[in-house]
Amino acid sequence: MQLKRPVSQLHLGLMAASCALLSSTARAQTADANQPPQIDQPLQIDADLLYYKENAGRVQTIEPIVSLKKDFGDQRVLDGTFTLDSLSGATPNGAIPAHQPQTFASPSSSSLTPKPGAKTTLYTIAPGDLPQDPHFKERRVAGDLDWSQPLGLDNTLSYGGHLSTEHDFDSVAAHAGLSHDFNEKNTTLSAGVSEEYDRIHAHGGNPVPGSDYALYEKEPNQTKTVAGGLIGVTQVLSRNWLTELNYTYDRSQGYLTDPYRILSVVDATGLVASYRYENRPDTRARQSLYWVNKVALGSTVLDLSYRRGKDSWDVGSDTVDARLRIDLGHRVYLEPHARWYRQSAADFYSLYLSETGPAPVFMSADPRLAAFSATTFGAKLGMTAGRNGEFSLRLEQYQQRPTEQSSSLTALQGLNLNPNLKATIVQLSYHLEY
Amino acid sequence: MRIRTVNCIAILLGVLVIGGCSTLGVKPWQREILARPQMALNAEPIDAAIDDHIYFSKEAASGGRSFGGGGCGCN
Amino acid sequence: MRPARAAVDAAWRPPHAPEFEVLAREDGIIAVYFTAMASPCELLLEATDVHAAGQLGSAAAQEAWRIETKFSRYRPESIVSVINRSQGSAVAVDLETAALIDYAARCHSLSQGRFDITSGVLRRCWKFDGSDRVPNPDAVAALLPLIGFEKVLWQAPLITLPAGMEIDFGGIGKEYAVDRVLALVAEQFAGAVLVNFGGDLATNRAPAAGPWQVGVERPDTEGQARLLLELRRGGLATSGDTHRFLLRDGVRYSHILDVRTGWPVPAVPRSVTVAAGSCVEAGILATFAMLQGSAAESFLIEQGVQHWCLR
Repeated sequence: MQLKRPVSQLHLGLMAASCALLSSTARAQTADANQPPQIDQPLQIDADLLYYKENAGRVQTIEPIVSLKKDFGDQRVLDGTFTLDSLSGATPNGAIPAHQPQTFASPSSSSLTPKPGAKTTLYTIAPGDLPQDPHFKERRVAGDLDWSQPLGLDNTLSYGGHLSTEHDFDSVAAHAGLSHDFNEKNTTLSAGVSEEYDRIHAHGGNPVPGSDYALYEKEPNQTKTVAGGLIGVTQVLSRNWLTELNYTYDRSQGYLTDPYRILSVVDATGLVASYRYENRPDTRARQSLYWVNKVALGSTVLDLSYRRGKDSWDVGSDTVDARLRIDLGHRVYLEPHARWYRQSAADFYSLYLSETGPAPVFMSADPRLAAFSATTFGAKLGMTAGRNGEFSLRLEQYQQRPTEQSSSLTALQGLNLNPNLKATIVQLSYHLEY
Repeated sequence: MRIRTVNCIAILLGVLVIGGCSTLGVKPWQREILARPQMALNAEPIDAAIDDHIYFSKEAASGGRSFGGGGCGCN
Repeated sequence: MRPARAAVDAAWRPPHAPEFEVLAREDGIIAVYFTAMASPCELLLEATDVHAAGQLGSAAAQEAWRIETKFSRYRPESIVSVINRSQGSAVAVDLETAALIDYAARCHSLSQGRFDITSGVLRRCWKFDGSDRVPNPDAVAALLPLIGFEKVLWQAPLITLPAGMEIDFGGIGKEYAVDRVLALVAEQFAGAVLVNFGGDLATNRAPAAGPWQVGVERPDTEGQARLLLELRRGGLATSGDTHRFLLRDGVRYSHILDVRTGWPVPAVPRSVTVAAGSCVEAGILATFAMLQGSAAESFLIEQGVQHWCLR
């Protein structure tokens, strides 16, 4: 639509200036030519220190974690993590509180009653207190190694392994996964499998599941395996909304009993008559459906997820987790976090066993298999440190509230049989990129 | 029975998401927000691993995000 | 530098994981996408070897990021930040920076002082966020002594900026990066190449199948004014005030500021797109046209350039 006109003086001047700019830099270009451009191949280092402490003198752990991630270019990434976990404090043994003192032996003891030449550590629980083994100490060393690489233009292959060892437990696991991008990388389908092999060699031997505590019957080492699979779909919904849906299934097989947990057996009035080692089924199939959303609201990012879990022990669970990452200026961010969880009890869970009723085959008083709800509230404060570093501090409070805490039996009146659990989580992190 | 319900929900949601995906999404040059590191699904992998580990040792359910935790005698 | 174009490169760029994608398209073009200078960037190659295209793409992205890192006023380590922090002392610059300052100086004189890389300080009182917050005239007047390239002592390789003054290459930088990346890629690749950084683009030649079809987004026009062009060679640049204006009492205040008054140039077009021999040249012509306000169209006709003006 324009008139064809001769080039003006001004235009000639601008042309000359533009040419001068571009030709002078063309010279600069040749001068730089012996330094070919390279893709960043950053090394990321994460150093974390986790401090976890439960209320009422229960478990506390200090856990340093070091993680290295190396990008070899072309999206080939090696990721290694090393974890050291030192755990100490008292841990509930599964028996219920009573109005009388109760005496137990630490698991490493060779018998329940002191014998010459045999090492026996006993502990006595005051009336009304929750029976806990005060000598609990554990150290865990764990390592993870993961590799991921593209496979063709639209696929990513990843595989890795995990090793961990404790005094009473060793674990080896491997996993592999494949993901496929399509629809202009707006959709990703993922599938993966995992296999874990564990060896359980409890302090003082593995108790015979369901046996009388007084007999102190132990078995040789036990094993369990866990095989799992995952399928997932990740979808970009809009410029600021990413969603993922995962379905996981895993099946555990073998010795699934907790070797340190017992149950109180009470008479018709609620007086403790004896104790039994717990006994769990030797298979457990678990399924979960996990839905997570990442939504950018301006510079703030919301991470909102829901998980529905279900297993063959009849434990159903719901988890809602929300995090909001709020940028406070260029260098500092605050990330409040709230989590809500509830689960129903395993079908063989009970607070205690009754002497009068028929004895069940499977039984456990493990509070982790009880019905409860739990909340976590906390926040993380992060700030950039130097050019390539980030420092952050996370503080959280976790609280578990069991649904069933008391009994109507006369001898158990006024006792909290499964008290609330409160824990504080402190995490210090330093992230550095080379 | 309830396990089957979970299965059905999974399949239904899967079909919805895959069916809808051909019309969903953004062009490569509209990804400036999605490309922000904090928009990555595993933006904080260490935090996630720590949480998975803590809740694995204190609750009956685990995993979901990826494989179900484990490798620990704590549960 | 387009006068006081607020926040043209202010938006966010992924610091740790710059997005980078290679896509083999059905039309025989391999596209490489990445983000630089707060813009979605695109490199189109008439090629079939995806691996080689990816290598060229990474070199292109690397070059764009290099230019951004070197010249962004938001980065404390950039040469621009060093100059702006110099507080009246002389700063020695390298050849590439000198070439850009030379260019800015010539544009300043060719525009009779209307184009000025020191006008950025006006951003302190002008925030073009679509609101009605028009600044206090006294505040604007107080900044005028800090503006004027004629106050800068430029004797290559030494630049001396009076204390309190600032420069930036916000508007030149992206066009410069487009031409430079094109030169870099064309040096190593025989086929047709098109470099597009957020709508400012340049190509060495058309693919064998025919000219490049270029769609230019025209801001604020409900989409129907999307311009479809055929480009065979050269550069294309758009200057516009998408979302960058103030609206008060029915008056639209454009982000194109007159450095002599510190106030917006009246009757600025919504967008001006110019085709020229290079992206740098197209960009400066579009900017000059915007500075003409109501005379933008006649200015462009006078220059004898292909242009598309939207009011």
